[in-house]
Amino acid sequence: MIEGDDLEIFDRSLGYLTAGNTGPALDAALDEVGWHDALFSDQRAAISILFEHQGEENATSSALDQVLVHALGCAGDAVVLPPVGRCAAPGTVKTDRLRARGIGTSRLRRPGTVLVVGQVDTSEVAFEVDSESLRSRPVDGIDPFLELVDIDAEVAGVKQVGLVDWRNALSLGQLALAHEMVGACRRMLQFAREHALERVQFGRPIAKFQAVRYRLAETLVAIEAAVAMLDNAWLDRSPSNCAMAKATAGRCALVTARHCQQVMAGIGFTTEHPLHRYTKRVLALEQLLGSTRTLTIDLGNDVIERRQLPALLPL
Amino acid sequence: MELDAFRKSVDQWLEDRSDELAPNHTGAGTLDEKMLQIAKVRRLAYDAGWARYGWPEQVSGFGGAALLRAYLSEAVTARDLVEPGLYSMPEVLGPSVINFARRELSAEMLPRLLRGDEVWCQGFSEPDTGSNLASLACRALRSGDGWRVSGQKVWTSLAQYAERCVLLVRSGTGESSESSESSESSESGHRGITALFCDMESPGITVRPIETMDGQHEFCEVFFDEVIVPFDRTLGEEGQGWTFAMDVLPYERSTALWQRAALLHRRLGALVEAAGPGEIDPFALGEVTRLVYAFRARSRSTVHRMSGGEALGPETSVDKVLLATAEQALYDLVAATLPEQVVTGDDPESERWRAEFIYSRAATIYGGSAEIQRNIISRRLLDLGSDK
Repeated sequence: MIEGDDLEIFDRSLGYLTAGNTGPALDAALDEVGWHDALFSDQRAAISILFEHQGEENATSSALDQVLVHALGCAGDAVVLPPVGRCAAPGTVKTDRLRARGIGTSRLRRPGTVLVVGQVDTSEVAFEVDSESLRSRPVDGIDPFLELVDIDAEVAGVKQVGLVDWRNALSLGQLALAHEMVGACRRMLQFAREHALERVQFGRPIAKFQAVRYRLAETLVAIEAAVAMLDNAWLDRSPSNCAMAKATAGRCALVTARHCQQVMAGIGFTTEHPLHRYTKRVLALEQLLGSTRTLTIDLGNDVIERRQLPALLPL
Repeated sequence: MELDAFRKSVDQWLEDRSDELAPNHTGAGTLDEKMLQIAKVRRLAYDAGWARYGWPEQVSGFGGAALLRAYLSEAVTARDLVEPGLYSMPEVLGPSVINFARRELSAEMLPRLLRGDEVWCQGFSEPDTGSNLASLACRALRSGDGWRVSGQKVWTSLAQYAERCVLLVRSGTGESSESSESSESSESGHRGITALFCDMESPGITVRPIETMDGQHEFCEVFFDEVIVPFDRTLGEEGQGWTFAMDVLPYERSTALWQRAALLHRRLGALVEAAGPGEIDPFALGEVTRLVYAFRARSRSTVHRMSGGEALGPETSVDKVLLATAEQALYDLVAATLPEQVVTGDDPESERWRAEFIYSRAATIYGGSAEIQRNIISRRLLDLGSDK
């Protein structure tokens, strides 16, 4: 566990690193401070603190890949994510050929070992693939700075690494993305709040108008709901709690993007203010490892099928 | 006692005594039936000792963390033994009465409340004083016999059952003025407000229940005509009424709301059971489930903060917004999924769904309206300055 002063130093150094670095530079900086070791010693601190800072700073890294590799208990540099909006493991196996259909992070644009998880009979198995042997298309998409890749590949003679717990990896990845969205939303709210206090119309700051105040209040409530669900999921890391945390953070991202965009009005619609980069970032993150909509429908169907609500965290 | 041990013992006790604890009525029950049931559960839980944990020894409690009493409230609500809104009154008024009343007064009165021997009511709102609490006008003048109180209160829950009323009055000479909970506490309307602990059988008190659209008459108008309240029934000092009211509100939005999370969870489960195949929309169900769990998660952390001795403040407005949102979303889903029960059903189960659906419409009104909560959030949590 990282506690007390150490936690504060850890937090401050990750804040500093994410503010000054992004992409491969941030990866190198994280290696240097031993973030990967922290992932083993205190999973919650490592994930929650890094991803919130990364979200706040609109930075990118291959930390999500590292979280997934760690959770799968394998070695590797990157993991193929399910297609946009989806949760199921992205690989399928036919005879000796592995078909991978999904999304990769920016780490897949660089050489390395990639893990593809696929269903074999009723169990999930990880396969190891060289990144260069995976047919992929660099994605500009809604957020070119995220540097995603679209993967649609068939590979023969792949190396089977072993049985893995995809659900566990998915859950941990969902928490990481939820923290990243919460960080981004906090920064968007900060932008909108500052703008509302500075922007004068009808002889007074627009922050005086109730219509504006309520949008910002709604945004804070959405952020606090996401924070509460993340806390809940870390205290009981069941798949349903992690999925609900991701869905709540996703809902928070959509609410925040809408309200902050509206409060910032014209300037928030330009590329002269950084808000647009956050808006686009959360719209992309919201779709990874299960979109808000998919996770919500899955949750509903699960409750209907089992005729039972997810287990409650005791007081 | 530690929470885990307490939880085990309480669960065991609730199991062992389930027949005796069960309500005598079915369905929604009348208000009289619900009040009798609450008194019974309180008495059994107090006599068994469970209702004394989490309350200080000075009021005959057994001490221990406030988490213990929060657990008891959750447990009796989750088993559908009590209606949480009516049951929560000790959570709302108890802690602040202990903080502000003379020690002898709280030592005498609190056990009666906790054992269900007495009902207390909260005389805050007035006809012209809804969201703007600081504008209250019910007057208390000093006389030889004590405070002489004249005026009117409204939305006073359970006044017709109550032995005592925790009453806010204007005792100073200052005129009421415009200000609100979301403003700075130094503004003039807050001065000259005093909190009193009043016997409801005092001469000069008239109670008139108000029938509400859910068919209940939980709320009352209370008229005070030259009612004498002894000076030693002042809660805190003269003029400390605003401080008292501000002390009450965080409890109203923490431990008291925590119980509501247990109710919403239970009723969501009941809805899933009641819905036939294909009747419930999976997306809407997922959404409501998420909202109920998010409110509960928030409320849980608030209860832990309160029990850990942290002072609760304006951040509890977030809890109230999350509750109101979850509650209304849940009952919107009830109305969409069980339309016959809500609209045309006359059996006890249908009546209960309907009464709860209608009551949920008030979730954005009671305990500080949705608008007041958003004012507090923007002024005090987002620091957006005054809206004037």
